[in-house]
Amino acid sequence: MANMRSKEQTSSTIGASLPRNDVYEKVTGTATFTDDLQFGGKLLYARVKRSPYPHALVKKVDVTKAKALPGVKAVIVGADFPNKIGLYLKDKTILATDRVRFIGEPVAAVAAVSNEIAMKALELIDIEYEELEAIFDPEYGASPEAPLIHPDLGNYSWPNFIFPKPGTNIANHFKIQKGDIEAAWPKCTHIVEKTFRIPHIQHVPIETHVAIAQQDEKGKITLWASSQSPFAQRALIADALGISPTDIRVIAPFVGGGFGSKAGVTMEAIPVALATKCKGWPVKLILTREEEFFTNFVRQGLVIHVKVGCDKDGKLLALKNLMYWDGGGSTEYGVNVTRAGGYSSSGPYDIPNIRTDSICVYTNHPIGGAYRGFGMSELHTGLDQAMDELAEKAGLDKPEFLKLNGVKEGESLDTGMKMHAHGLNQCIDNVSKSLDWNGPRTPSSPCKLRGKGIAIAWKAPAMPPNAGSSAWVELAEDGHITIGLGGQEIGQGTFTVMAQMAAAALGVPYEHVRVAGPVDTQYSPYEWQTVASRLTWSMGNAIRAAAADARRQILDVVAEAWKENPEDLDIINGIVVSYKTENETSLKNIAVYGMPRENDQGWIGGPIIGRGNFMPTYVTGLDPETGQGTRSVVHYTVGCEGLDIEIDKNTGQITVLKAAAAFDVGHAINPTLVKSQIEGGFVQGLSSAMFEEIKLKQGVMTNPSFVDYRIATAPDVAFPLETPYVEVPQDDGPWGARGIGEHPMVPTIAALGNAIYDATKVRLPGPPFSAEKIYLAMLDAGMID
Amino acid sequence: MTLTHITITVNDLAETLDVPQNMTLLTMLREKLSLTGTKNGCTAGECGACTVLLNGEPVNSCMVLAAECDGADITTVEGLAREGKLSRVQEAIIKSGGVQCGFCTPGMLISASALLKRDPHPTEDEIRKAIVGNLCRCTGYVRIVDAIKEAAK
Amino acid sequence: MINPHPELPELEYVKPASLVEASRFLKEHDSEARPFAGGTDCFVRMRDGVMKLKYLVDVKGLNGTQDLSFDPKKGLTIGAAVTMNKVADNADVTSHYPLLSQAAGSVASYQLRNRATVIGNICNASPAGDTIGACIAYEGVLNVHGESGMHQVPLSNFFLGPGKTVLKTGDIVVSITLPLPKEGSFGVYKKLGRNIIGDLSIIGVAVLGYPCQESPSGYQFRIVLASVASVPFEAFKAEAVLAKTKITNDVIAEAALAAMESVKPIDDVRGSARYRKYMARNLTRETISEVWAKIGKHG
Repeated sequence: MANMRSKEQTSSTIGASLPRNDVYEKVTGTATFTDDLQFGGKLLYARVKRSPYPHALVKKVDVTKAKALPGVKAVIVGADFPNKIGLYLKDKTILATDRVRFIGEPVAAVAAVSNEIAMKALELIDIEYEELEAIFDPEYGASPEAPLIHPDLGNYSWPNFIFPKPGTNIANHFKIQKGDIEAAWPKCTHIVEKTFRIPHIQHVPIETHVAIAQQDEKGKITLWASSQSPFAQRALIADALGISPTDIRVIAPFVGGGFGSKAGVTMEAIPVALATKCKGWPVKLILTREEEFFTNFVRQGLVIHVKVGCDKDGKLLALKNLMYWDGGGSTEYGVNVTRAGGYSSSGPYDIPNIRTDSICVYTNHPIGGAYRGFGMSELHTGLDQAMDELAEKAGLDKPEFLKLNGVKEGESLDTGMKMHAHGLNQCIDNVSKSLDWNGPRTPSSPCKLRGKGIAIAWKAPAMPPNAGSSAWVELAEDGHITIGLGGQEIGQGTFTVMAQMAAAALGVPYEHVRVAGPVDTQYSPYEWQTVASRLTWSMGNAIRAAAADARRQILDVVAEAWKENPEDLDIINGIVVSYKTENETSLKNIAVYGMPRENDQGWIGGPIIGRGNFMPTYVTGLDPETGQGTRSVVHYTVGCEGLDIEIDKNTGQITVLKAAAAFDVGHAINPTLVKSQIEGGFVQGLSSAMFEEIKLKQGVMTNPSFVDYRIATAPDVAFPLETPYVEVPQDDGPWGARGIGEHPMVPTIAALGNAIYDATKVRLPGPPFSAEKIYLAMLDAGMID
Repeated sequence: MTLTHITITVNDLAETLDVPQNMTLLTMLREKLSLTGTKNGCTAGECGACTVLLNGEPVNSCMVLAAECDGADITTVEGLAREGKLSRVQEAIIKSGGVQCGFCTPGMLISASALLKRDPHPTEDEIRKAIVGNLCRCTGYVRIVDAIKEAAK
Repeated sequence: MINPHPELPELEYVKPASLVEASRFLKEHDSEARPFAGGTDCFVRMRDGVMKLKYLVDVKGLNGTQDLSFDPKKGLTIGAAVTMNKVADNADVTSHYPLLSQAAGSVASYQLRNRATVIGNICNASPAGDTIGACIAYEGVLNVHGESGMHQVPLSNFFLGPGKTVLKTGDIVVSITLPLPKEGSFGVYKKLGRNIIGDLSIIGVAVLGYPCQESPSGYQFRIVLASVASVPFEAFKAEAVLAKTKITNDVIAEAALAAMESVKPIDDVRGSARYRKYMARNLTRETISEVWAKIGKHG
């Protein structure tokens, strides 16, 4: 019957590659990003005076001349805002107070009627520094000889799952002790011990950070920001200013790329602080590309010492993982990267004996924050390349080794948590097949070497155990629905996927769903942050619940009006239908006005608004010494990547012939968006493997521009990239969906490193795997002359 | 500072403006004409987010002084659609899924449109070369290249 | 630390009506003024505060700067305002000066090549300048307007160091003239960057070869390398190897080795001196071989 057919049409929004609901604006240039907002002639321009030293005491800051410059409306220094701010470990202030801890750290800020005047005012600010010995290496920083960067660490505040060591530069030390590692080594037939160094890199969103703040005469603040975290920014900035969170309203337009850089609070606090000194004036701070590269958030560097052992059959027995994270001058966010790197330090491998020490160290380097992968890319770069060599020693083909040792459903993870169902083996098979793993590896010419590499990876959403989502669904007079959410559209397609989910859960066409954007903390429902690859799963659950709530309300009203049972009713394509009587009414007819009783005896119903929320309730704490606990994380997304490459013997240049990336996404709500995420993440991963590095010399970033910080361009990725994803449903995911945002960037460096090794027998100590490094390594190994 | 008086055509509309001499074409478009579709990604001529057509040729508008543009004919992303009808490349990039955050999109569309005008049937290599100066961080360029191929058909 | 201006610092844009007026203005304002065409180098440096200028003098409207013409007797003239794209795509350039066409087409991006100019590339005098080697190989002569009117400067004498040329205050390079290339000549430009294309060069190799009766080998080569010394570097020793004996693969390898031994690269953010030395050898060998494959059969 017609009803059954319509039902299929509706539920097919799940799994359908529907076009994005923000794309028309984006292709016509009408999509509003934060710097597009118009504030008229009253807008003030902020510029920041930054520390030229990696480590120094601030002896004196004199802003008298700057304040006196005509056109300057406000000048602020650290002492004006002494409260600490931070997501996890509160270790920084909005501007530096008595000490600077990295080159580029904000020390003072100016708001003026033009950029020109603001720049002149900066020059008039006199600051006296006393240089201190600086730390540029995390292992040195963790040693007892190193001077302290945060002597006051013991007085900071932190949550109960972070373990700083006051009196040292150690901001967090996460430990795993599983089984008996010392007893395990003698049982190992093969052991590989390696050290890798992964350099700092930056997110390089094409839109740099931008924030505009204004405080009204009553003291209420509005902050417009390119933000992944409107609610967290509200809470953290309010806390630092000593005001209530609802006294700050954060409005977050489209984001031109985040990748973690726009999570938490970084530069956004500065225009807010300035705005409090010039009430009524909107103050805009936009970072130049140069500032974006090193003054705000970067991905911390890592020194990883990994030792792995297996038995004669190649079965893993032991893993020792010692990681020193180069956290930078502030680790308020980075401490959790260390933790996540720690509790996931086994990778998706089943290993009975594990010793992990994941140590976050203060250094006088740029601030390590949230970066796509949250420690996983750095970890797997070391771990999987060590596994690659172990597989070779054990005489196993890598895919065979991976499938033998990959963690299975029900097995106990490094933290003791039981692994859920997942499709890792299928991912490995898909990648092997795409690359014709067992096929010939013939170079295309005598001056080339050919190799294939494969790597596996996993990641769980890294967040506090009680990170929550909420949503509402409202029915409008035209029968269309508006969905309220607090997660941000940063390019990943969340507005589209949420609309698809709401459409499916309620019973309306996708085209009839509007998203209440931009996210505005005054009206939008709470969302922890747009990070951790958590929105499809967490916010999706909230949206689904809200839509189901609205649907129930609708069916209850109609059932009452029709004197039927709600169980016999359905909503299909925006029409309420009865399977029993074949009565029909469009949602238009009941949306806000309800339905009339018989004989003009009044009305029932009214405006329909559904609500839902989701918060995981089952994540438990972990023992501080052993890292063991019942449930360390909500779930893992697992996957595999591989590359087929050639190396030019004359130059060391890499040519990728083919690549494949397969991940278990649970259920692809929008297959094109899933594939797009995997493609983009893979290329970002490849870019970090081949080109990217923040070149730090004595704390100075020597390449803070696109001229010398290279990223992948279109000609660099002219190879077929296959994305055969896998779907093993997530038990508590909406329609079984699981997150995929970060994962495609995680195993790429290891996969490429393995391919280079296969081609050249050269194993570089860390990325980027530049042509120069490969050429000189081949030369020094006597492979070429 | 002295202002320069210029007459310029932007998306087929004639404009007369007085511009500060250090103002770039990009800033002039975004702030004087409120055409905020064109984006600033680096102010250094590297990322291509600011690409517009200047007398029919794609340029980084952050590297052109507004004062140099007296008598010039400019097309921005806002000028690609004609009377509400999207251009071939705009339609193609929607269909292929080549838009994620959308920040590189305006510059990318301008470069792509210019390419197809000078070479209606480019090879994939030629497409990639034509957009080497348009950095994208979200898509990996896969579906952008697909879109340009499709629009070329 | 560097604190780049978010836009461009205050400046005055000057558009002189004539070469005489332009030279006079530049002379009068000395270090505060500079001529520009595309602006792609100086705008960036002004933002960084590395170049502090009060006046930017636009040469694009001056007599002779828009000229791009080929005379079958005199050769090619490229005006100061002629963009890289115009040069790279010009039919006369691709057929008669293929080395220059390739070199110009290898610079940065299509957008940048619509503003950047060959003359600007030369005057900027970076040892990495992609078009310089080709212009040297084709024996380019600069037509300069200065205080005392027009004079010629051969490109081979032009460079003094990174960013330093023989130009004096008040000088404006109006155009470059490349004489007719030798009969049967062919050239190839090979460039190695970090990305596959579009980058500044870690090393660039420009090779031009042509039949030459006076040469014992029957051929003459011009070999100019970018990014291996403080100025664009002509590898005379390598050229000599290819001139003195019959050319074979071994002789080409010997020439490449001579190039490697004579370059003086430094370690910088793009690459190490050691790598550049080896690449000087390998890429010079490859490039000479490619040119030889084309011109050798006419021998």
